[in-house]
Amino acid sequence: MKIAVLIKTALDTGQLRVRDAVVVEETPLKISDIDRNAVEEAVKLKGQDKAYGVTVLKWGPLQKKVQEAENVLREALAMGLDEAYLVADEKLLNASHLATAKAIAAVVKKVGADLVLAGEATVDNYTGQIPARVAAELGWPVITYARELKVEGGRVVARRDLEDHVEVVEAPLPAVVSVTREINQPRIPTLLAIRAAMKKPINRLTLADLGIGVETKISAAYKPLVIQRKKVVIKDGTPEEKAEKLIQHLRQEGVI
Amino acid sequence: MKTLVVFPNMELLYAASTLGGEVAALVFSQKEAEAVSGKAHKILVAEVDPRLPDAAAEAVAKAAAGYDLVLMPSTKNAKTVGGLAAQKLGVELLVDVLSMRAEGGVLTAERYVFGNKAVAAVQVPLPAVATVAPGRFQGEPPAVQSAVEKLALAPTSRLKIAAVEEKSRGAVRLEEAEIIVSVGRGFKKKEDLQMAFELAKVLGGQVGCSRPIAADLKWLPEEHWVGLSGKKVKPKLYLAVGISGQPQHIAGILDSRIIAAINNDPSAPIFQNADYGVVEDLYKIVPILINKISKLKGG
Ligand SMILES: Cc1cc2nc3c(=O)[nH]c(=O)nc-3n(C[C@H](O)[C@H](O)[C@H](O)COP(=O)(O)OP(=O)(O)OC[C@H]3O[C@@H](n4cnc5c(N)ncnc54)[C@H](O)[C@@H]3O)c2cc1C
Repeated sequence: MKIAVLIKTALDTGQLRVRDAVVVEETPLKISDIDRNAVEEAVKLKGQDKAYGVTVLKWGPLQKKVQEAENVLREALAMGLDEAYLVADEKLLNASHLATAKAIAAVVKKVGADLVLAGEATVDNYTGQIPARVAAELGWPVITYARELKVEGGRVVARRDLEDHVEVVEAPLPAVVSVTREINQPRIPTLLAIRAAMKKPINRLTLADLGIGVETKISAAYKPLVIQRKKVVIKDGTPEEKAEKLIQHLRQEGVI
Repeated sequence: MKTLVVFPNMELLYAASTLGGEVAALVFSQKEAEAVSGKAHKILVAEVDPRLPDAAAEAVAKAAAGYDLVLMPSTKNAKTVGGLAAQKLGVELLVDVLSMRAEGGVLTAERYVFGNKAVAAVQVPLPAVATVAPGRFQGEPPAVQSAVEKLALAPTSRLKIAAVEEKSRGAVRLEEAEIIVSVGRGFKKKEDLQMAFELAKVLGGQVGCSRPIAADLKWLPEEHWVGLSGKKVKPKLYLAVGISGQPQHIAGILDSRIIAAINNDPSAPIFQNADYGVVEDLYKIVPILINKISKLKGG
């Protein structure tokens, strides 16, 4: 089964500096955690066919980040994907999900796939809308939040993990499925696999290569999230004294 | 301004009313239509199974014609419907919005991003779709005259729901809990969690946990899991015990009134996110707290 895995080269938010301003440009990229689960699932399901990664670069500056994104994609290739497609275009370096989904769908159409896999959401923006959008763009059915996935007789059967219940949902292929972190345990690539990944192709594409145009009028400004907590830290005294102090504070606040 | 509310509840209808202008509601059964009667100028009824995102999105895309904004709740199914509908309509979708304003054909909305380290103010042209974070818009939607209309469509779905399994919902309803004692990997063994349950009991609260406790160690069912991918809670007291305080955990507790923390590592990030922190071994202090608090309550 031919599979396309959507991989976000996301901002490594653990390394994001937010002291006075939010410095996006200098934040390194990493593979969005939940996309590792999508890659793992693809490697398990692909059989004799190819599985390829599809990435739309969202964070600039373009020249600098293209290189970083390729390094991130090598990780997914080392996990067992066969090939990767990186769409890098100035016009896509913004917050438009509409445009991103168009570009992804264009790659999937160009390369062909029976199944598109993605993480339920990406770690930097956590909106989770791309899988549904790509499905709409391709005209394929979508199953989101899958924590278990089976392919049998041209159909996907998934356990869809919602807030209060789990649905067992079926859809005919081709389809788009987004997975949760509970679906599997992503493999750690061996040294040999990492070396082999250096030889696998990463194909760079622009919007012109895909024959599509996008026009976006979206803008986003970021500011640090200031957490206003009292930050009183009790560190001196015996455990007994500390417990007493904590209880006093909580009683004063009227919460116990 | 014309706003269409899908999967309406009082919070969403109120949020829509704050934007001014006309508010319509799209519902998927007669019963839901009755529940919002008098709260929206127009009520559109689509006879569609809303659990099927493709069918629901078809109804949304059809109903949205002529509206500036489509508002939905931030549930997983609604976000899926929102993504499908937004792509069909060729518009942007903002999820989990905390606040919003519509002006001059532009929607400006705030949402948390980057593992809750930053707030983004996003501007998108109208028409647009947005899902609203729970608990942000509290008020009563104004009483209005409602006109009910049937939305004619023959929706097709390629999905089949073969079974639905309710999640075990013990007595735990963290979203409604007033006091939560939450446990993390600072606990060494499953049996030790008993201490936390005892502390919660004397406080009259419930027990929450970090992701590893539910997802990796499976010491507690998922209904206890708090955070970005777990429950978002808003108790008056959240007491984090043996939790380091990673942004993904903090994401679930931002709306707590008071956050207290017990951790033996003075540099644990939880202390930067807490009102009261105690640097101590949980194994030493939790039994003392149980003792003292039960005396307090008893006497
Ligand atoms: C996409 C994504 C989504 C995620 N979603 C969530 C989520 O919804 N919820 C969530 O919680 N996490 C989530 N995580 C995981 C999160 O990043 C952290 O890994 C997790 O919260 C850590 O759990 P913890 O604090 O229990 O464990 P640790 O980080 O291991 O912390 C244990 C703490 O216990 C303290 N400790 C140890 N021994 C003692 C002792 N004897 N007494 C007192 N203190 C002690 C240590 O000092 C340490 O601070 C997510 C991660 C990702 C990437």
